[in-house]
Amino acid sequence: MTEWMRAILESKRERRRQLSALPFSEKVKLLEKLRDRSLAIANSPLRRRPHQLG
Amino acid sequence: MKATLEVISQMQVDGVIGQYAIGGAVGATFYLEPSATLDIDVFVSLPKAPGSSLITLSPIYDYLKARGYKTQGEYMVIGDWPVQFLPTGDALAEEAVAQAVETEVEGVRTWVMTAEHLVALALQTGRSKDNNRILQFIESGTLDADKLDAILARHGLLEKWEQFGHKFLEDKK
Repeated sequence: MTEWMRAILESKRERRRQLSALPFSEKVKLLEKLRDRSLAIANSPLRRRPHQLG
Repeated sequence: MKATLEVISQMQVDGVIGQYAIGGAVGATFYLEPSATLDIDVFVSLPKAPGSSLITLSPIYDYLKARGYKTQGEYMVIGDWPVQFLPTGDALAEEAVAQAVETEVEGVRTWVMTAEHLVALALQTGRSKDNNRILQFIESGTLDADKLDAILARHGLLEKWEQFGHKFLEDKK
């Protein structure tokens, strides 16, 4: 593994640690944002099958 | 989610549900980084119907429908969240509810399963997303290994745990 890739992975781990350490109420707010984003993606026309688009 | 938890709390006060605990992805978020989920899994201990050995979710649905809440498949939509009420059908789920951790979400008191019970239930369920969650817990270092071993032993899950280890953790040894 290159140094560059190692640094990226460590940075991701650190970000996960920071997010995990947030108070539950803060994490719940993030959950709500993630849920809203997932719903928006699921409802996007790009996700619909061709026969649903017409 | 505050509004959702307030309603669930009121259900408890009104005697519709007994003790409860949040499990699934929302429960895991108490310990891990948040990950996208569309619903809340609420494990509840329910009183048996008089003269019956059956546990039924009808009182929950009746209570909520009478207050204008709608169903969406197997979910009840409370506030912004679809909530799946799961009766504690076995000893592991019962223990998970009984030993849940008390916490607060925006000032509303609630209960979340312990990390070890979330892992044991995920192992028992065994879908891909459950396996993924177990790996997240292992990597996070939040698990108490002795406590988890005791739970797995009590509920006959040690063999499954060993299989999980062979399948997903061999290259980490």
